[in-house]
Amino acid sequence: MGRWFRFFLVIALGITLGLLYGWVINPVTYVDTAPDSLKQDYKTDYVLMVAEAYQVEKDVSLAIRRLALLGSDVPEDIIRNAIQFASSPQVQYNEADLALMRALGDAVQNWDPSLEVSPP
Amino acid sequence: MREERGPWYLFTGLVLGLAAGLVYAWLISPVRYVDTAPASLRADFKDQYRALIAAAYLASGDVERAKARLSLLKDDDVAQQLAIQAQLAQAAGAPESEIRGLTELAARLNPSLSLPPTATLPTDTPTVAGTATMTPTPVVVMTLTLTPATTPETAATNAGPRPTVTPLPTLTPSSTPGAPFVLQDQALICDPKPVQPLLQVEAFDAAGQPVAGVEVIVSWSTGEDHFFTGLKPEVSPGYADFSMTPGVSYTLRLADGGEAVPDLAPAECEAPDGSRYWGSWKLVFIQP
Repeated sequence: MGRWFRFFLVIALGITLGLLYGWVINPVTYVDTAPDSLKQDYKTDYVLMVAEAYQVEKDVSLAIRRLALLGSDVPEDIIRNAIQFASSPQVQYNEADLALMRALGDAVQNWDPSLEVSPP
Repeated sequence: MREERGPWYLFTGLVLGLAAGLVYAWLISPVRYVDTAPASLRADFKDQYRALIAAAYLASGDVERAKARLSLLKDDDVAQQLAIQAQLAQAAGAPESEIRGLTELAARLNPSLSLPPTATLPTDTPTVAGTATMTPTPVVVMTLTLTPATTPETAATNAGPRPTVTPLPTLTPSSTPGAPFVLQDQALICDPKPVQPLLQVEAFDAAGQPVAGVEVIVSWSTGEDHFFTGLKPEVSPGYADFSMTPGVSYTLRLADGGEAVPDLAPAECEAPDGSRYWGSWKLVFIQP
């Protein structure tokens, strides 16, 4: 075996050991993450929860504050993405849940923050 | 000549490989957390997630869905965690609806709870395994009005990792809507254990079952405080207490419009050895 062959062989061995340690022996555990890193299905369920609560509370401002946890995207986009995912064939939320999210989307779209401020 | 250098070049290769790996992992393509699960959320985000689950539960009355969602957070004791968060939320002056949601969900999930059977929350009618049809009806839980979904039937047939809905035959709320609670009993409890004198409240429904989530209002000359039954399920699901300050007179009432109990001030008790200590007032309310 040539020296160069052994040289690269030991590098490959090091990488293999590193991967074994990192993936099997001591894999990464995610802690202290933010909601914007959630998987899309969890985000979608989060949006559904906001929609369920909005259905009773009728507080668009509160719903938007809750949606803001999911990242810096505008709330309309967050809801649109959720509805898109919920409508995809592999998950296919039921129509009642989709209707709730659409109602929230409509409310957010038509929301006028200035109306929230009480007149002096 | 070359062979006399020994195996150090192999070590050099290993170090180079590791360095290259770290440069790639830390600088060129550092870790980005994506597709994480709710269990990995930071504690304060988990609290907000939990509060939202409770708010959604208050709206839908779907306890199975709430349980499935809570399981994503992987709390050791879900009901206890909700109760603790409700207490913290109350101390932090959180909105009443948030406290109520957390309290009622905690009470609903705690197995020691015995909820009134006369409740009129949405009734779920199971159809086939894994699929359910839910027919909500308009209900009132305490002072909160639950509005049914716009669509009368909810087919819980969603695939994917979102919570699976497995409705129970009947859902029971933590309070029966109807007549306000009335004071059934008021007694001075002489127990030297509490360091501070307490106002102890217990709420029962007409069937004699303890009721969680009942809002209690205590007022005195300079202030007012609100709290809920059910935050100490280890005592009783219908129990709540408030620490009194000696020398201050309190008025207590339940938020449902029931009668007020005035002139509640710490009273002294006498121990067998003649020493004196503060007793606690115990007020038992019942819903006729």
